[in-house]
Amino acid sequence: MATTDKTPFDPFLTAIIANRMDAIIREMTNTMLRAARSAVINSARDFSCSIVTADNQLLASAEGLPIHIFGSDLLTSAMQKFHPGDIQEGDCYLHNDPYTGNSHAADHAFLVPVFVEGEHMFTAVAKAHQADIGNALPTTYMAGAQDQYAEGALIFPAVRIQRDYKTNDDIVRMCRARIRVPNQWHGDFIAGIGSARIAERRLKELCAKYGKETIRAFIANWLDYSEELMVKALQSMPATRLSNSGRLDPLPGLLPDGVPLKVSLEIDPTKAMVDIDLRDNIDSVPVGLNLSLASASAAAVAGVFNSLSFSVPRNAGSFRRISLQFRDGSVIGKPKFPHSCSVSTTNLADRLINTVQAAFAEVSPKWGLAEGGLGVGLGYAVVSGNDYRFGGEPYVNQLVLGSAGGPGSPVADGWPTYGIPVVAGLMYRDSIEIDELKHPLQVVCIRLLTGTAGAGQFRGGAALEMAVTPKELPIQFIWACDGGETPPKGVRGGRDGTHAAHWIVRPDGTEELLPSLVIISLQKGETLKGCHTSGGGYGRPHDRDPALVLKDVVERYETLERAKAIYGVVLSGSMSDETLSVDVEATAALRRAS
Amino acid sequence: MAYVISLDTGGTFTDVVVVGPDGVPVIGKALTTHDRIFSGMREAIAAAAAEKSLSLEQLLAETDLLVYGTTRATNAIVTKRVAKTAFVTTAGFPDILVLKEAGKFDPHDFRTPYPDPYIARRHTFEVSERMSSEATVAIPFDERQARAVIGEIVAQKFEAVAVCFLWSVANGEHERRFGQLLDELAPGLPYTLSHELIPIVREYRRASATAIDASLKPLMQSHLRGLESDLRNAGYKGEILVSTTSGGCTNIDAMVAKPIYTIGSGPAMAPISAKAYAAQERFGDNVIVCDTGGTTFDVGLVRDGRLTFTRETWLGPQYTGDLMGISAVDMRSVGAGGGSIAWIDEGGLMHVGPQSAGSEPGPACYGRGGLQPTVSDAAAVLGYFDPNYFLGGRMKLDVAAARRAIETISSRIGLTVEECSFRILTLASELMIRAIGDITINEGLDPRESAIVAGGGAAGMNIMLIAKELGCKRVILPKTASALSAAGMQYANIVAEETASHVTSTEDFDLAGVGRVLDSLTAKLHAFAEGLAHDRNDHAIEYIAEARYAGQVWELDTPIPSGHLKDLASVAELQEEFHRTHERVFAVRDEGSAVEFINWKARLSIPLADPPAPIADADIVDAASASKDPVPRRDCYFGDVRAVATPIYKARSIAPGMRITGPAIVEEPTTTLVVYPGMSVTLSAAGNYLLEI
Repeated sequence: MATTDKTPFDPFLTAIIANRMDAIIREMTNTMLRAARSAVINSARDFSCSIVTADNQLLASAEGLPIHIFGSDLLTSAMQKFHPGDIQEGDCYLHNDPYTGNSHAADHAFLVPVFVEGEHMFTAVAKAHQADIGNALPTTYMAGAQDQYAEGALIFPAVRIQRDYKTNDDIVRMCRARIRVPNQWHGDFIAGIGSARIAERRLKELCAKYGKETIRAFIANWLDYSEELMVKALQSMPATRLSNSGRLDPLPGLLPDGVPLKVSLEIDPTKAMVDIDLRDNIDSVPVGLNLSLASASAAAVAGVFNSLSFSVPRNAGSFRRISLQFRDGSVIGKPKFPHSCSVSTTNLADRLINTVQAAFAEVSPKWGLAEGGLGVGLGYAVVSGNDYRFGGEPYVNQLVLGSAGGPGSPVADGWPTYGIPVVAGLMYRDSIEIDELKHPLQVVCIRLLTGTAGAGQFRGGAALEMAVTPKELPIQFIWACDGGETPPKGVRGGRDGTHAAHWIVRPDGTEELLPSLVIISLQKGETLKGCHTSGGGYGRPHDRDPALVLKDVVERYETLERAKAIYGVVLSGSMSDETLSVDVEATAALRRAS
Repeated sequence: MAYVISLDTGGTFTDVVVVGPDGVPVIGKALTTHDRIFSGMREAIAAAAAEKSLSLEQLLAETDLLVYGTTRATNAIVTKRVAKTAFVTTAGFPDILVLKEAGKFDPHDFRTPYPDPYIARRHTFEVSERMSSEATVAIPFDERQARAVIGEIVAQKFEAVAVCFLWSVANGEHERRFGQLLDELAPGLPYTLSHELIPIVREYRRASATAIDASLKPLMQSHLRGLESDLRNAGYKGEILVSTTSGGCTNIDAMVAKPIYTIGSGPAMAPISAKAYAAQERFGDNVIVCDTGGTTFDVGLVRDGRLTFTRETWLGPQYTGDLMGISAVDMRSVGAGGGSIAWIDEGGLMHVGPQSAGSEPGPACYGRGGLQPTVSDAAAVLGYFDPNYFLGGRMKLDVAAARRAIETISSRIGLTVEECSFRILTLASELMIRAIGDITINEGLDPRESAIVAGGGAAGMNIMLIAKELGCKRVILPKTASALSAAGMQYANIVAEETASHVTSTEDFDLAGVGRVLDSLTAKLHAFAEGLAHDRNDHAIEYIAEARYAGQVWELDTPIPSGHLKDLASVAELQEEFHRTHERVFAVRDEGSAVEFINWKARLSIPLADPPAPIADADIVDAASASKDPVPRRDCYFGDVRAVATPIYKARSIAPGMRITGPAIVEEPTTTLVVYPGMSVTLSAAGNYLLEI
């Protein structure tokens, strides 16, 4: 039989099967969301589902968080490496080891190899951020950990947890003995396996319907098609070689200089390749902020995808056009064991995404983004304690109440629901009422602040202020909030966002500014309040449509003073009788003058 | 028995279904007249009356029940013509409507602008007060400040007020006090209190529903009262009811009080007709209902004979639209219909929709200047429509224009126009299959064990392809397919629903507290029933718990099997019912876990009309041999390069019991049914088409 290099492309069948794959991921997602127990999964959606081919190519990921799914192939590769010749139908593997392909220890990935007529065709991956993993402190982000041993979590390097669809109860007992609020963990564990098993069932049905050969052709077609779109995107860019820098703010006492960040970007439109060189970065650091290979790769790739002007499927096909370079022993992507990667999916990863997308903005006014808002502070704190309302029952969970402002883009303002760069607006916000029902705390306020958005032709999202107080018993709050010193940058003349800052308010009303790393037992009568950063602006504020500036003032996102001083827009009339309007001539004169 | 008239006024057409003493439905249609709904309505009723050989006046005189459904509220929202509404909330939380619940579809999309909130920030007012999650007063209600806020609302000439305080659902005292102050300081100004409209936990959902409801009050009150007086002036003396999105109908007073329930009330009727027709044909009580229109495909379910409900209906897109929050019949809508445009992307992949040619210019085959290839053009090229008999002869089709449109993509992918057309139709079907998949998966329903009832003008084009792909064996295309919603109103019950929030758990079940809650819901429903125009004794009340495993945050509707919770045995039954529901939907049950109950619903139903009774099967005869005259043929394509000379059956030539074997086309005045090769269709004794895949 004659063979050809490329499987003939069927624009119709490829569309149909891609649609089916998408539906399978949505079903996995729905199962996880609705069946999980911890709020960080079932309310905030801090999890992702994907399908990887048997030869470890990421095939489909639907709405998964970029930081989670771009390393799915590393996970399945580890599974195959550790269990050569011993992977069979009915197996399920648990993987959370950042040194063999996972993002960080707090993300538990459930891997189910899918067999069709005895042949391993796919691996279904359901990865979820846990409420607790048995760290030394009640948090899944051990920013102060000197090394992995100091984190204290159980590590599972692609450990088999099911064979013949039966769970290994030894492992369940180990987890129950180590992880806080074990029933909550176990509910999430069942939901994670359930999600991957749903994919197994559906993928088998899909193969039965179309036959393995058609599915194999689809895989080749779909990856080629995705690559082709990426080629088109890169061919439309100018040949570019530039570098950009960023900085992770210091952790007082632990990391006095923070982490300077360097990214070299090379776009070669003739070869349709983009190269991101991250070798020129410092060695691993003795805190929990090192970026695992999975997290660093995911962040760099997310920065590229954020910068494109049209949508390209995210899979191994389009990834063929991106090359990444890391240096052994570096804090970015190849930390030296046993350095801690506990906080690998947020702080430094957020900075890496920002630095890459801001670099693209310098290439052309059509691409890239400003830097997105930062800060895993009060709005994302991990809270724990005992709930006086339920007989002192212990609880631990991550809040998802806050958000930093999104980045301005070439055509739109940043979103207020952005979160942080790694989640990019995908995660849900907690309901205030649900959080108060589940934890003995009271939210004092949550509001967007006027005059905070990084100005630009397209501005960043505004900063969100929030405050929280315990009801009776003390509550432990833990976070490591970036952005207190170095705000997200504006690009192409856009202004920077605001700083992050948090205070504790004592019962007598006095306020104390908190450091970036907070581990605090908040007493009744005390309040925590603060803001993550706003987002950076894209383009010069003077190029912003005056009608949009007017709208921002009317809607209380901006002040009259800033409209004039920063945007060069003069408004006349009155807010109270809704007659405020743009003084066109005065605005033109003011903008000419500057 | 006299006549029952049901009316569905959509954006384009007003559909009327009239059922008289003989039980046979007739349809009337007219263009919707938006400036005065009654004009179009009268024309449509007159058309239906003519089918029964009656004058409009005669029909109205002999009718004792008229059920009205309207898209007026939806249109007002889409065209931004709702009332100028103030949003009043707890101090410190002004951005509830701005922030929503977050989430988006494409993580790398930074080019879509963030949506404006349903009520602008400048129309938002904060009142100093706070209830706790334990229903205690955390910050007292600041009466002086509240009075100042109302002064401002009056001064700025707001036309309606939406009030949503945090935890009003646990303790409504502060909201009620604000309402009293409004009555005192701004008498007659319509307002909605969140804990009265929608007593559920989750502030955004409650606030969004409250905002939508309040903003509709002035408009819907004048619309419904105006319609009532138009009908009375036309001589109609019978009862008037209005269809609701909770899957039934109610009186005008109730609808004026909660106008949000008119949104989506038309589509909410489709499952009711589906249930009736499936029962009539003895096809069981698990039914998928599909309604294919020009731009959207709507799908809903009947599960174990019950309608299915959701609190997650969005006006506009998920995440960026506005959440309705109320418990509404679960009808999902996807952008796939006759007008959906087919295109090839930069990487060579074929897509259908979500862009649509709409009704202007419409598909290329309409000959009104449309150039892009649509699903209807594909069907026209395949020969499925008689160019001279489209929409019962009301429109001539320009097949050449359709071919030219399809050629723009077929030439790019190296297929014949006919091959390409068949693939477009199949891909459109795929989108519809996915919509059906999403809703059936959500409910744990196996499509293979369900019946399909298909409606909408474009349904017949591909419903058999869809059914085949899903593995459905029982499919009905009813006589009233083109007016499924109006038909559903004929068999709707009067429904009223009351909800209350009361959190308890199987660990320590609050028998007394839940008992009080259910009693108060029951009392409210009895008061509603007594206020109806006619005495109706045969009402039933169904009780439902919104429950979850301890620690989960998403509730599942769980019917209370014993209809009360007076003892622990009935709680145990409810717990088992929840395990069953959870297992059905998520494939797991967790016996070791406590079950928490959040909200309690009571639903009153009063049947209005008996559903159509099953009719004995007709004797089956083969249509080809039974037809007296030779059956005309037309060249049609079914995926091959070559045409098939396909028999064309006109509706009037088909008698009950006739079986038509595919390939064949059946032409009804308002829809065309394509019977694909290897499939067949039989006209049932009741007048429905039963499709055999």
